[in-house]
Amino acid sequence: MRRLALASLGLLLLALPWLVPRYFVFLANLIVVNAIVAIGLNLLSGYTNQLSFGHAGFLAIGAYFAALLTIHAPGVPVPLTILAAGVSTAAVGVALGVPCLRLEGLYLTMATLAFGYVVSEAILNLDWLTRGADGLRVPVAGLGPWRLATDVARYYLVLAVAVLMVLAARNLVSTRTGRAFLAIRESQIAAQAGGIHVAAYKTIAFAVSAFYTGVAGGLFAFVVGYLSPDAFDVFLSVDFVAMIIIGGLGSVPGSIIGAAVITVLHDWLAAFQNYRPLIFGAILIAGMLFMPGGIARALRVSLTRGGGV
Amino acid sequence: MSTWWAVLLASLITLGAVPAAAQQGVTDSEIIVGCSNSFSGPLAFTGEQATRFGVDLYLKYVNDLGGIHGRKVRTVYYDDGYKPQEAVANTKKLVEQDGVFAVIAPQGTAPVVATLDYLEQNRVPLLFPYQGSPVTRAKRFIFSGMTLYDRQSRVMIDYLVGQRRYKKFATVYQDDEYGKTFLTFFEKELARHGLRLVAAESIKRGATDVSAQIAKLQAATPEVTFLVLTPGPAAQALKERQKIGWKDTLMVSTGPLTDERYLALAAEAAEGVEGLSLWPDPLTSDLPGMRQYRALMQKYFPKNEPNRYSLSGYFAAMLFAEAAKRAGRNLTREGLIAALESLKGFESGILPPLTIGPDHETQKQGFWVRVEKGRFKPLTDWLRSE
Repeated sequence: MRRLALASLGLLLLALPWLVPRYFVFLANLIVVNAIVAIGLNLLSGYTNQLSFGHAGFLAIGAYFAALLTIHAPGVPVPLTILAAGVSTAAVGVALGVPCLRLEGLYLTMATLAFGYVVSEAILNLDWLTRGADGLRVPVAGLGPWRLATDVARYYLVLAVAVLMVLAARNLVSTRTGRAFLAIRESQIAAQAGGIHVAAYKTIAFAVSAFYTGVAGGLFAFVVGYLSPDAFDVFLSVDFVAMIIIGGLGSVPGSIIGAAVITVLHDWLAAFQNYRPLIFGAILIAGMLFMPGGIARALRVSLTRGGGV
Repeated sequence: MSTWWAVLLASLITLGAVPAAAQQGVTDSEIIVGCSNSFSGPLAFTGEQATRFGVDLYLKYVNDLGGIHGRKVRTVYYDDGYKPQEAVANTKKLVEQDGVFAVIAPQGTAPVVATLDYLEQNRVPLLFPYQGSPVTRAKRFIFSGMTLYDRQSRVMIDYLVGQRRYKKFATVYQDDEYGKTFLTFFEKELARHGLRLVAAESIKRGATDVSAQIAKLQAATPEVTFLVLTPGPAAQALKERQKIGWKDTLMVSTGPLTDERYLALAAEAAEGVEGLSLWPDPLTSDLPGMRQYRALMQKYFPKNEPNRYSLSGYFAAMLFAEAAKRAGRNLTREGLIAALESLKGFESGILPPLTIGPDHETQKQGFWVRVEKGRFKPLTDWLRSE
């Protein structure tokens, strides 16, 4: 049963660009990129209970890193570019994570919020490198002899990376590290008493989360094709938090569903123009009121009640 | 876990069920145009005025008179909140899902530039974007809207040096494409007259304290100080100047800054400031096109005060309607572009007679104004740059 479901999902995802309107492929790319960010954020906030409002900053670092690498070293194949974007963002994650060890709750949230602002200011001020507020045009990604010039080509790149990232996340959460994350979430004191090195695991959580977001950033650069600090404001960080809350804290499938829901919602609400923020906010509040624990838990509850699969 | 994947699968299938795109945006009874614009975020007011109270205002008038060759024009707008990635998503949706015939009057350098390659590749006309960076010049499918920044610089320098005989210039500019484009062309145009800037101070976007920059400019004793800023910081700069009692310089605002909001923010500190205005005064101008604009605003949106943002959208729709009319009943994108390129001495009653050349620029002028008792008073006729 499970194999069948997985196989059909795989087939569906592979065939998707031919089943949906052309425009939806771009949206699907954005959904997948956001899903990778949401998984990364969930590892930090959902599993380890370190709430971050600065993930737009990590996304920006990954995106600019990938774009600048492609501009200055056009020969580098795209998987390497994406990996490098992830690794460099993870390094920044460690640099942010270590001082944040001393902070908890609201103070940590404030620090990550500030981090997001610092990154976008840095992009503005390093204009010799980033072209500041004018924005940076990202060259088409190259993979050996191919150039990923269409949304469909980029879809397969994004999808392949996402599958790897999802599998890695699902493995991670069922290892010793994942259990340590959960223990820290439930009680830091109890975790420490249980022999878990809290500081080390919190730093790991920051690094892994930043790595995921950096990888997503690298993909984002190629998917959108143009970067500017306007893309990475604090509301994007809030969107990421909304994704994991709506989808389900501490759940990998929940992260994916949350990312899909928020991305599609934004796209759909764009037609409401001025009323967009209002409707978006109302839907978020309703979602949290009626589905505490997120869509993931609500679905699980309703499926088990209905005697489902 | 299998339930999860089943749920994911089901949701993906539902998401995919979107209706297919129409052809090219022209049917027997309808022409569809639209844009992605700011309806939230920092430029929400400008975006809403230009589209729903500007483009739509003129198109309502056209539609009530029977439309263009029997076709009513319908508009579709999406909010991008000034985010380039959302502008790209919205523009793809407009082209591929709504099947717009052309994109009209989007706003802002970053969101517009993010969509340029896509629109060119798909041969979709981009009409009159509300931004002034020269990056849109002379592209096959793009027609610029506002007078581009390099032209504005030339008009300003030629007037101030040629007619007003000023020799010592300085500038405070916003540190981005808008500011730096002006800076580069101020230097170039001054060099043409054998002059140079005696001081140039920059302000980062979003900064609120400008006292250091104003003090440095005062020390350079320029006769003329250009303000290349947005309304907030520019009003700060004027107040700072008033505070330190710096009187012996003429403050000059660039075109995008010369608007009513700036006057409201600066209040009496704006008195005596001069600048380049790209549009006739929306409230007081007696030009026939301006009277019609106000009459239509009164008729269709009586609660909305006339302003230059809605005027810019109104003008964009007027140009589009004129070109679509000339292109004939068999309307194609190529036909529209040919019709726009054939415009010679077109009388809008708002701007001077308009001719579009191979550079695809629709506006090449501004006129000089001075702030007197809280309003812009015209000092010159149209000043042009060819």
